[in-house]
Amino acid sequence: MTATTLIHAEASPRRLLKALASQEALLAIAVIGLAIIVGLYNPRFLAMRNLSDVLLGNAYIAVAAVGMSMVIISGNIDISVGSLIGVLATVSGTLAVEGAPIIVTWLAPLVVGILVMAFQGAIIAYLRIPAIVVTLGMLSILKGGLIGVTGGKWITDLPDSFHLANIELFDAVPMPVFLMIVATIFAAWWMRYSAPGRTIYAVGGNAEAARLCGISPPRATVMVFALHGFFAGVAALLYATQLRVIQSTVPPNLELTIITASVVGGVSILGGVGTVIGSTLAAILIAEIASALVFTDVSPYWIRAVQGVLILITVIADILRRRRMARA
Amino acid sequence: MKLGLAIALMSATLLAGTAYAAEKRWDGADDLPVNPLACSAGEASAAPAAKPYDGGQPTNAPDKAGKPISLVDVPKLIGIGYFNATTKGMQDAAKALGNVAAKTDGPTEAKIDEQIKFIDNYITSGVDGILFAANDPVAIAPVLKKALSKGIHVVGYDANSTPNAREWFVNQAEFNGIAKAMIDSMANEAGEDKSFAIVTSTFTTPNQARWIAEMWAYAQKCHPKLKWLETVEAQEDNNLSFNQATTLINKYGDKLSGLFGMTSVATPASAEAVTKAKLCGKVAVVGLATPNAMKPYVNADCVKSVVLWNPVDLGYAATYVMRAVVDGKLKPGATSVEAGKLGKLNVVNGSEILLGAPFIFTKQNIKDFDF
Repeated sequence: MTATTLIHAEASPRRLLKALASQEALLAIAVIGLAIIVGLYNPRFLAMRNLSDVLLGNAYIAVAAVGMSMVIISGNIDISVGSLIGVLATVSGTLAVEGAPIIVTWLAPLVVGILVMAFQGAIIAYLRIPAIVVTLGMLSILKGGLIGVTGGKWITDLPDSFHLANIELFDAVPMPVFLMIVATIFAAWWMRYSAPGRTIYAVGGNAEAARLCGISPPRATVMVFALHGFFAGVAALLYATQLRVIQSTVPPNLELTIITASVVGGVSILGGVGTVIGSTLAAILIAEIASALVFTDVSPYWIRAVQGVLILITVIADILRRRRMARA
Repeated sequence: MKLGLAIALMSATLLAGTAYAAEKRWDGADDLPVNPLACSAGEASAAPAAKPYDGGQPTNAPDKAGKPISLVDVPKLIGIGYFNATTKGMQDAAKALGNVAAKTDGPTEAKIDEQIKFIDNYITSGVDGILFAANDPVAIAPVLKKALSKGIHVVGYDANSTPNAREWFVNQAEFNGIAKAMIDSMANEAGEDKSFAIVTSTFTTPNQARWIAEMWAYAQKCHPKLKWLETVEAQEDNNLSFNQATTLINKYGDKLSGLFGMTSVATPASAEAVTKAKLCGKVAVVGLATPNAMKPYVNADCVKSVVLWNPVDLGYAATYVMRAVVDGKLKPGATSVEAGKLGKLNVVNGSEILLGAPFIFTKQNIKDFDF
């Protein structure tokens, strides 16, 4: 069972075939294939405006899924992220209506996100409490605390300059899409080629082996959670600055959507395997499916069923892949 | 051969499904009887036949007439502007009455199972009365009946339960009244023969389903040329509502002349979607919403009418009704009840108290409200 590969898809005669069969390639094919099929049914689906709106409205999920993927690859899980995003959005919005400089309102969620997540990572790593228990506790604290502190008031009357998500770079690229692409590419590169990035896979693949190689698994866990907090902060910023109202409740089921993006993206729930390119593509696919259901007049009830089917397919595929590798 | 049979079977099922759908109400509407109001404001609508009292009664409730009572209010969820406003009304009423202590507690998401747990806990810890706004009219009934059986008074507001699970229900506005205000505003702003779509919470949320059913009935009667395109679900989720409204705009393009927001979350999100698509003035947004969330759009002339009642008055009335029940002043068969500054409120539908006609927020009056 120690056959978990740290670096997959290395030189092999069947390299091309293998690359095409990778989760990322399958997802890319699914994203494009679905667009074509729905486009045949209703050509309006393919309008530039619609495609960019699909990305725009869901980029924050992809950004949060980058951090979530790191956490899951390292052999952990975090179910507090949806609540944290709600809290960070409120922190940012409250500062904005209190008249704080805009740059402060944008940086605050990043800093608070890193602190909260690093704290959780430290408890998980050094007190050796399972991540699901720690983050479940944090979920309740954040959710209840948010209502307690805000008294349930919505934040309205936000200053115009606060709306980071409405900025278009070079009058063409919307900020959420830009940040999604930058976060994904940077994280993917860093995880594949840098030493600290590789430790995420090493710790998640086999913590004991990683320790024997001189890696400190607890330190890696704290690092991963801190990074996850950073991406949650960016996601919260996009979430908060897109609309002119910030609800004081945490977005319902957001953590599940984010985890779904990671898992469907090919990140193994057993740790050690996966890429953030996969999770971003999966986030796009899930958003595309939601839009496609409206365009094809399918009842929205099916979105959850479709997500469930996607999760099951990927998890079964992952288990089968592991069995095959174990045998090889 | 087998394949052909399967295809034939499937198309038969699909056809049957379509035929069935054609008889049904519009998507997102319930199938309860409808009672559309008269088309013009002047015409008096037919008064519905008086219905006998159909509420429940508590067993051996202690006599606390005139004595201090403690109430708990369990809304659908806490943390949204709307239920903050009803809570404010309850506190105002408690202060005005002087012998009522009220507190609000409830789930942070509109989930019926969590709401039941909250109510159950308060039955155990002991209160004199429970005010509620149901997440599900049927699922909430057993726990409310349990409260009645322990001698606790039960009054609903905003979202009803089955009638025999509570004593009275304070109806914020009759469904047909809201429906008329919504459809009249849409026909007026978008045009008599234009097309619109609806963004709602879920197809089975009781209030929204009732409104849509009444809107459908009223439109058939008074604005038959309006074209109904589609209803989409968006839970009570800000970003999902925005995404769904945007998808509708992209799907229908020029064909879309109006959007209805059926919740206080969906309406500002729809207005934002129209604003971002630069379609203010081309796509009318009419909906139920709280004023603060709508001020930017109303002030920018992107939204002309926001339909609602005054939720502060609703919480206020619910508290007065509870006090009147405990004091023995509101008994089965009564036709009205005194509700402090709101004056005399009428009993309708057997065991409901009607708050009044809906309120329309416009550019002129929206600044006077802060919730």
